[in-house]
Amino acid sequence: MNKQLEHQFVTELENNQNIVHKVCTLYTNNRDAHNDLFQEITIQLWKAYPKFRGDSKFSTWMYRVALNTAITLYRKSKRRIQTQDYDSVIFKIKADEYDETEEQQLKLMYKAVKQLNDIDKALVFLYLEDKNYAEISETLGISEVNARVKMNRIKTKLRTILNP
Amino acid sequence: MMDELDLLKKDWQTKEGNLPKLSYDEIHKMTWKKSSSIVKWILIISVLELVLPNLLVLLFVGTDDWSNNDLGLMANYYLGFNILYYAIVLYFIYQFYRRYKEISVLDNSKNLMRKIIKTRKTVKHYVIFCLAMILVFFAFFIVSFYVDDNILLSIEGIAEKAEKVPLEKIKYAAVWVFALGGIAFAVFMGGVYFLLYGLLLRKLKVNYSELKRLEV
Repeated sequence: MNKQLEHQFVTELENNQNIVHKVCTLYTNNRDAHNDLFQEITIQLWKAYPKFRGDSKFSTWMYRVALNTAITLYRKSKRRIQTQDYDSVIFKIKADEYDETEEQQLKLMYKAVKQLNDIDKALVFLYLEDKNYAEISETLGISEVNARVKMNRIKTKLRTILNP
Repeated sequence: MMDELDLLKKDWQTKEGNLPKLSYDEIHKMTWKKSSSIVKWILIISVLELVLPNLLVLLFVGTDDWSNNDLGLMANYYLGFNILYYAIVLYFIYQFYRRYKEISVLDNSKNLMRKIIKTRKTVKHYVIFCLAMILVFFAFFIVSFYVDDNILLSIEGIAEKAEKVPLEKIKYAAVWVFALGGIAFAVFMGGVYFLLYGLLLRKLKVNYSELKRLEV
């Protein structure tokens, strides 16, 4: 593939890499796995890039490829060793920014979200990224009504974890 | 009380500063790496599965012991069986290729999973077909022992044995050996295959059934 296309792609991805990092953070538990998944998503994005026509935003297009890679294509590699759980690094809650109860609650929330299954995580992720139900249903291939129902169930699930 | 998720959403969107940041060069390097995705593995394993049984057959049939001359009356049936076999193999390869080409990471998640499972199913059917063919292959020889004594006698060592033991007895033993051998071989190959298949697609199947469950 030609150099210009490659340059264009890498620049776009560099500018939008947060989306991929956030997916990796949700779906993996340590830095090695995070990097592994990031790499696989990058490869998938690059392979699909010639089909990206620019009729949607690059970032919109990325969500689908990144999530599909995380929940469908990605195979955990054997060489991965369990290093320290680094959620605390990514989602570090700064004590001075929040009052104590809220901080505590957020910590619990992040923990709870990480415990959800792959599909629930995908729904929560798109919701956190401010996607509407039409986009969520289109990305996952379920109906809008079902996306809403599912989301409500997840909210209830999270609420029970927070207020036992 | 504020919706917990909205609280999380507010926090989530302010957290971007804590995410790792890769440089242009680091990302550029990644575009040259090889994918290790499930689809890649399916392609590798499937191609092996499509090719290996045929290689085995070719090696087996290619030796002098199994040349058509020894098959006597059964030779024509054997040829017909081969033509049919390869026609079906070609059909499977075509089907597999068509479905493999349909897999796209740009599809929605449910379709993507469905297509991967469908592609894999083609290979699964092919493997079941091969296992059945193994049984047919063994059955073919069992039948041929009864049709033509020379086939049995052409197997190395049998002719000398036949001078001491009645041929009927040898025939009886050979039928059992071929029948049990055929079944054991098919079960073993099937076991290995389904273990591999199950391990590779476990995660995908869990996620697919979760998405499908949502539609009920």
